[in-house]
Amino acid sequence: MGPTLLKPERSIGIRVAVLCTALALATLAVGKKKPATSAAMAEPQRAMHALNRLAFGPRLGDVQRVTALGVDQWVEIQLHPEKIDDSALDARLAELPTLRMSPQELVEHFPSRQIIKGVVAGRIPLPKDPADRAVYEAQIKRYQEAVERKQQAAQIPAAEADPAKENRPDLDRAEVNPADPKSREALPVMRNPRRQVDEELVEAKLLRDASSERQLEAVMTDFWFNHFNVFLNKGADRYFVTSYEREVIRPRALGKFEDLLVATARNPAMLFYLDNWLSVGPNSDFARGVSKNAGFNKRRPRKAGPGKRRGGLNENYAREIMELHTLGVNGGYTQNDVTEVARVLTGWTIERPQLGGRFLYDARMHEPGDKQVLGKRIKNNGEKEGREVLHMLAHHPSTARFISTKLAMRFVSDTPPPALVDRMTKVFLRKDGDIREILRTLFQSPEFWAPEAYRAKVKTPLEFAVSAIRSTGAQIEDTRVLARALKTLGMPLYAMQPPTGYSMKAETWVNSAALLGRLNLALALGSGRLRGVQFDPQSLASPSEDAAQLLTELENTLLAGDVSQQTHETIAKQMQDPQVTGRRLDDPVRPPNVGVLTGLLLGSPEFQKR
Amino acid sequence: MSITRRILIKNGALAAVGTCALPGFLARAALAGHTSAANKRLVVIFQRGAADGLNIVVPHGEASYYALRPTINIPKSAVFDLDGLFGLHPSLSPLLPLWKERHLAIVHAAGSPDSTRSHFDAQDYMESGTPGMKATEDGWLNRALHSTPEPAEKSAFRAVAMGPSLPRILSGSEPAVAMGNVSDFRVGGRSGAATSASSFEAMYEHSVDSVLHGTGQETFEAVKMLKAADPAKYLPAPGASYPRGRFADSLRQLAQLIKANLGVQIAFADIGGWDHHVNEGSTQGQLANILRDFSQSLAAFWTDLGDLGEETIVVTMSEFGRTARENGNRGTDHGHANVMFAMGGAVQGGKVYGRWPGLDASHLYEGRDLAVTTDFRQVLGEAVHQHLGSQQLENIFPGFANDPGKFLGYLRNS
Repeated sequence: MGPTLLKPERSIGIRVAVLCTALALATLAVGKKKPATSAAMAEPQRAMHALNRLAFGPRLGDVQRVTALGVDQWVEIQLHPEKIDDSALDARLAELPTLRMSPQELVEHFPSRQIIKGVVAGRIPLPKDPADRAVYEAQIKRYQEAVERKQQAAQIPAAEADPAKENRPDLDRAEVNPADPKSREALPVMRNPRRQVDEELVEAKLLRDASSERQLEAVMTDFWFNHFNVFLNKGADRYFVTSYEREVIRPRALGKFEDLLVATARNPAMLFYLDNWLSVGPNSDFARGVSKNAGFNKRRPRKAGPGKRRGGLNENYAREIMELHTLGVNGGYTQNDVTEVARVLTGWTIERPQLGGRFLYDARMHEPGDKQVLGKRIKNNGEKEGREVLHMLAHHPSTARFISTKLAMRFVSDTPPPALVDRMTKVFLRKDGDIREILRTLFQSPEFWAPEAYRAKVKTPLEFAVSAIRSTGAQIEDTRVLARALKTLGMPLYAMQPPTGYSMKAETWVNSAALLGRLNLALALGSGRLRGVQFDPQSLASPSEDAAQLLTELENTLLAGDVSQQTHETIAKQMQDPQVTGRRLDDPVRPPNVGVLTGLLLGSPEFQKR
Repeated sequence: MSITRRILIKNGALAAVGTCALPGFLARAALAGHTSAANKRLVVIFQRGAADGLNIVVPHGEASYYALRPTINIPKSAVFDLDGLFGLHPSLSPLLPLWKERHLAIVHAAGSPDSTRSHFDAQDYMESGTPGMKATEDGWLNRALHSTPEPAEKSAFRAVAMGPSLPRILSGSEPAVAMGNVSDFRVGGRSGAATSASSFEAMYEHSVDSVLHGTGQETFEAVKMLKAADPAKYLPAPGASYPRGRFADSLRQLAQLIKANLGVQIAFADIGGWDHHVNEGSTQGQLANILRDFSQSLAAFWTDLGDLGEETIVVTMSEFGRTARENGNRGTDHGHANVMFAMGGAVQGGKVYGRWPGLDASHLYEGRDLAVTTDFRQVLGEAVHQHLGSQQLENIFPGFANDPGKFLGYLRNS
């Protein structure tokens, strides 16, 4: 991608040939525009705003393109991702085979330790395919070595054992330097097959968010995944998350809320994550041990050990579906409703989760009898009880308000205007929870375009990192460095353990370590020193010795020229610093270091917001 | 360079930046005596993965303990007897001097009333301080900050978590610093750092965004404080021998921050690797090894702090205990109640606190686990209320009646 250089529109007012004098600085200050929050937004500013909210920030030249197309027109196009060509991204993602696999295939090709144990114990046969077989055999060898080591460790006298070594929690944690492409080549699926699944998932997400043309779809996929959060590192979920995002979340990101709710409720990723697959009606046939049939034991939760009861209601999912997915914590349900919904959803389980199995309704686990949910009687009706309750929850006024509020928090501000939420709630109820319609209402609202909404949101670490990549035109070659940076910033992808998902509020993402992390990431990326990311700072600027013009160009490119006076002056001052210019007093004037300036702009308060 | 810069800057906002002298607040902090009430501090340690409390503080006086754990019990002859009923695992020998000096107290059968046996939920509940409620957004240590008198000398290091990100327990509206590594807590690499740092500081100083502005201030203050205090120069005190490993590194660096007088009031560190379902071991083995790491690190921390230990208390917690019975793999599965340690100058140690529910089948929780007789929030409530002077316990642990009259009394009244 070639850099698109903007005409520095302010340069007439501030073009001062003399660089390093206080006079120049004073002139720069006078020449700055006022922060554009006093009046309605001009078209380029609207474009910037739309790109910050409906996309992961503008790419090089996007503001001009969207302005030329017409901002409203661009918004409408984004509301119909199915009509947007995304073949360049698709071609890139085609290199990642796990993205297209079913959970069963993932388990088969990238076995977990449990599968390997099963093979060792003779419960599971070795695969026939020679490539798969080699992977399994390598894993079996490692497993057996680990077992031996453990047995030895248990016998070594305390004084000789090395605690640091012994406590290494997981032998297959990264021993490969992810920043080193060579070691990645050498990283065999042999060594840790499971990790390939995680890495491709994370890689695809970063590539998609950074370069998909269907930006609103990417944003909404991120939003709904977070809303219906699942945790990659919880046991079998590692194999379910890829298809959960691909088949449940993304296709419905702009669809009907009820469809989304039902699809999440019936997906093994959610059933496993929030334990519903283990929930057994206390009076079910299964709990009472009635009419055992031979095949069943293979499917049922096999964890029963001493003292673990066979039948038990698990309220985990029933609570979260109301608290986090639909009604909201103050949405008007009681503990009794939680228990009743748990009874309703008994029997919604997974067929052999450790093998990547599918959703299964098991009537023997289902609690018989009528239930009472939110004051409504749910007649004894097996699996259909669940559908009835999900329908009720999806169309409940509390849900309409809860979802509208959360969307407005994502797109407008941490404290969205109540009048806007009211209108969105009405559209939600009137249009059968049609997400596209709710969003259209939102994007056409005066509140969305109000000057006080402009750059009102602090970017999450993901939004920060991806927008920095997009705005500089940097190319991601190895996503693992970025993935690790996100972990350092407190936002590891697909790895939010609690079901709340990540917060969208500013205070969560602004803390000392995180801010330092951002600033350092900005400096590294800006100067082209971030490994795994290909970026030449010189590509952002036309060769020039005119420092003022250069700064203006960079401000236009990275922040649509909308930079506070303080930020502008601070950077202008830094341009005199010999550390930036590499200039000695007797040197002739040399061009300033574009990399440092880019890093400073990416780390500026303005760039932390969208 | 800095002179030129300061002349150029009219509003003086950058006066404290760059190579200038020790910031005023730091100089004042250095002058303040370290025994005043304002310097009291609480260190919370989380043992992630559910530590096996029954093999850590062993009820060797109960016959049923040995019946339940035929192969992994700690023999009576191997424990350090504490009071006839309980004894310490032999790997905890580094902590024995603290026990004898009465600086170490133990609370047994403590835990969360919630019945979950999921690591993931139970840790969440222990960090949010609201068992059974997932919607709680902040952590109880952060709420404790809010309800604790702030020291007169404000410090960016008032609350610090040793780790790359802020854990749930410290997240919330009050500022808290997360620090993975003392030497990485700075802007930029080794070269060019000072100029970039001062540029960022100037930008954030004037940011109209209150959150960014506030955090920027905290951060750059913390970076400067750290640079000026140069905690790296505080080498471990003689006799403080930290083992190798992440946990020891955390405590060693935390001791540096404390010794550098950076105003740490609340600190957090964690240690993983307690989930021993298979081959847990007895006096030797997996649990013995991690306990050695744990106890050596804590003992080194205590020695390292020296007199500063008088105003410090350390409290440990783990999400739940493990099954009273050993399982078929010579390990233990997820259980319920657990043991907590408290050490420090204000601790009335040398005693095991709490009511022991016993291990008879009829007393086991759900027929399998040690029952909870002391809510973990009661132990923590005493720490923040008695030691830090936190008020409004009902805000720190909402929904839990934390009556100071019913505290266990493991801390001396201050």
